[in-house]
Amino acid sequence: MTRHAADAPADAVEDYLDRLLVTLSGSPRQVRHTLAEVEAHLHDAVAEGMAAGLTEPEAQAQAVQRMGPVTGVTGQPAGLARPSLALARRLTLTAALIGGAGLVAVGGAGLVARALLAVKGDAYLTAPWPQASYTRADCARWLAGDPGTHSCVAAMLADHAGDFLLQAAAAALLGLLALAGYFALRRRWRDRATLTALPSGTAEALGTALAAVAAVACFAVAFDTEMTQRGIGAGEPWSLGVAAAAAAAVFAVALRRTLRRTSPA
Amino acid sequence: MRAERLKGHLDLLLMSVLSRGPGHGYEVITRLRERSDGAFELAEGTVYPALHRLEEAGLLASAWAVASGRRRRIYRLTPAGAAALADQAEQWREFSGSVARVLGTPAAGMTWRPLSRGALA
Repeated sequence: MTRHAADAPADAVEDYLDRLLVTLSGSPRQVRHTLAEVEAHLHDAVAEGMAAGLTEPEAQAQAVQRMGPVTGVTGQPAGLARPSLALARRLTLTAALIGGAGLVAVGGAGLVARALLAVKGDAYLTAPWPQASYTRADCARWLAGDPGTHSCVAAMLADHAGDFLLQAAAAALLGLLALAGYFALRRRWRDRATLTALPSGTAEALGTALAAVAAVACFAVAFDTEMTQRGIGAGEPWSLGVAAAAAAAVFAVALRRTLRRTSPA
Repeated sequence: MRAERLKGHLDLLLMSVLSRGPGHGYEVITRLRERSDGAFELAEGTVYPALHRLEEAGLLASAWAVASGRRRRIYRLTPAGAAALADQAEQWREFSGSVARVLGTPAAGMTWRPLSRGALA
């Protein structure tokens, strides 16, 4: 028995095909075709080796050795086929999905805040700064932005409420861009190595957990503000909490669908 | 022959092998080995991306068929591939002829040998 055969796993051909499957990139059809070609090639090579007098494990080891590394079959540089690249791609997709959805949720918080603003006013949405923390110049700037108001505190609250709504809208825009990037990259990175680099449903589970934690934290702050500050400034954490809870619910539904789709029947 | 040197000429060799008749990947490798008297040593898997690339370029075409009890992808040279093969083969002959002329033939009684360490000192 040769050294290669002695070092070989129980079925070197099957092991090689497994490694090739998780390394190949391209459309599902391209992957299937290449795998079928290489499988036929390896079985031909094993048959030839056995016809020449080798045992089956020896012939398998020789066939795999002659085929060369799986990166040779994929035609990619070895670096592009490393599991770490697939993992990096998968992590990028996960971050884009969670980040994008989170930013869109912040945009949703802006809508909730707008409703609270209409019903309960500026003081409910944002808390005023302590008196010693702003100057006359700040007051003048706030009053200039809200000419109908004569109170510095009222102008400050209106300014801060406007800032919050503007930032929420900007976050929503960024979130939509991130989600567009996510869908574009997901179409581009459809290779099996990337798809299987993390367990199925990882992004959805992580999104659910993060959004739920954010929702609980925001609700806790809002409740505390209601109790200790008579509701002044509670609108922001309430709106963020509602948006985070909605995001957690959406992620949870997506997670459930993914688990149903991927779990064995 | 080293695999790195062979890679630069793999497309030409594959098209040349397939110009003698269609074949699947294993047949192509076997013919290449036989016709070169085993001189070409390359990882057999590297033939597949080359075959796929040539097919994408329209120089080869493939079809699936069952042969010897297995489903196989049979490659054949297209008319565009035949033209490319003729062109590349001519370029190779010109190149190899030029290299041979530069290398020349050792004069009578002389043989090529490497310079000794102190020859240039």
